Amino acid sequence: MQKVAKLIDTTLCIGCKACEVACQQWNDQEFTMGVFNNTYQTMPSLAHNFWNLIQFNELEINGAQSWLMAKYQCMHCADAGCIKACPAPGAIVQNANGIVDFNQDNCIGCGYCITGCPFDVPRLSPTTKKVYKCSLCSDRVAVGLEPSCIKACPTSCLSFGTRDALHHNASKRAEELRADGHAQAGVYDGPGVGGTNVIYVLKHADRPQDYGLPKDPHIPWTVSLWKGPVKWLGNAVFFGGLLTALVHYIKVGPKEAHRDE
Amino acid sequence: MNKPRIERFTFPERMTHWLTAISFVYAGLSGTALWSRKMWWTASVLGGGETIRAWHPIGGVVFALLLALMFRRWATQMKIDADDRRWLAVSHKYAIHDEAGVPESGRFNAGQKMLFWVQSVSAIVLFASGIVLWFPELMPRGLRLIAILTHPLAAVASLGGIVVHVYMTTLVVPGALNAMLRGWVTPGWAASHHAKWFRAVQRK
Ligand code: HEM
Ligand code: SF4
Repeated sequence: MQKVAKLIDTTLCIGCKACEVACQQWNDQEFTMGVFNNTYQTMPSLAHNFWNLIQFNELEINGAQSWLMAKYQCMHCADAGCIKACPAPGAIVQNANGIVDFNQDNCIGCGYCITGCPFDVPRLSPTTKKVYKCSLCSDRVAVGLEPSCIKACPTSCLSFGTRDALHHNASKRAEELRADGHAQAGVYDGPGVGGTNVIYVLKHADRPQDYGLPKDPHIPWTVSLWKGPVKWLGNAVFFGGLLTALVHYIKVGPKEAHRDE
Repeated sequence: MNKPRIERFTFPERMTHWLTAISFVYAGLSGTALWSRKMWWTASVLGGGETIRAWHPIGGVVFALLLALMFRRWATQMKIDADDRRWLAVSHKYAIHDEAGVPESGRFNAGQKMLFWVQSVSAIVLFASGIVLWFPELMPRGLRLIAILTHPLAAVASLGGIVVHVYMTTLVVPGALNAMLRGWVTPGWAASHHAKWFRAVQRK
């Protein structure tokens, strides 16, 4: 099956937040009032009931005031840290089309996925004690519709399609930007996590942190160690211990009391 | 009436031991469900994933509190002395019952003392990392990344120790289980396994 993807061309985002509204509406989320902290950003970060956030990053780049708007949501990694960390069967599934989807019925609310995620996306609900995040509108995609954020976007900042086609478009667009004099323009798609199914075009691809994106996303090494060598060690200790006990009993047997008094 | 008995463990000691054991088995089994998908069935036995998520940490804290009681009672008796160090050096001989060169033991032998220290240290690590895992939304990411690694590592150390402990006390040393259940041993048993302790008890 073809992998689907979402392309975010940050150079075309006008910060209108139509995608935020569409996401809230389609996913039937109630809006929780946030705080006003002198930015246009709706809230400081994602929330269990807010899966799509436009970050308004105001900074000075090469002496020029820049306003880097970047959509922030689940990246739908090929090598997903949340899945690696999750202990509950069926709580997180990766569909053949590449969508990483949470199934709250099977979630136990341990929060391991939050720790495993390189992009800090899943959020625990204080009321249901389950985690939530963008599903890439798996319900819409399953019936041939595009995700709601993409449907709502008034510029061509957001597009939806097969990963191959969008990756091609992204590279072309980056080339265009470079030809236009933006020497650092490039594509951001997380090779460290096997590629993400959310692809960005960035004018400053050399500094993704300025967009609120990690520089070189990968599954944290403690998570890999925990799910790899630590598991082997544990199994070796446990089954090795049982086997040694069995052999010891058969070969040496019990220790009889050897003195009477 | 017929055979003389020596008291080995008092009633409070035995109660503390068994309550600790029960809470440990609960924490161990519920934790193991999360450890591996192949062990998920333990979650089903214990009431499902959400139930163990809620109760494992509580069982763990109960375990840690009981172990702290045990620690207060036994820590001074668990000091490793010169004989214990020699005992540990020849523990391979103890394991095959070739006890000619193995130093005599006091109330606890050096192996039991080691188990005590392994359990105490791993309980501290389990407790500290467990608290971090318990409230992921309140904890900084760095701490969670450490806890996710140290909690199962300490569980492995502690479960590994318990496998040896259970094997020794149920199958290798007849009479040991009864000592912890009913509290007494025979003089012959005491002289055989804990000679220094036996003489000290006799002197009293
Ligand atoms: C001392 C207090 C303890 C606390 C507060 C604690 C807390 C936790 C928490 C919060 C989790 C995450 C999932 C959940 O909530 O069920 C966890 C996982 C786990 N716990 Fe504990 N725990 C404690 C003691 C123990 C003990 C005594 C053992 C067994 C020897 C143990 C073994 C485990 C294991 C094996 C896991 C799964 C680790 C993995 O996913 O690889 N815990 N614990
Ligand atoms: S919180 Fe839910 S989805 Fe996340 S790791 Fe735990 S069980 Fe899996």
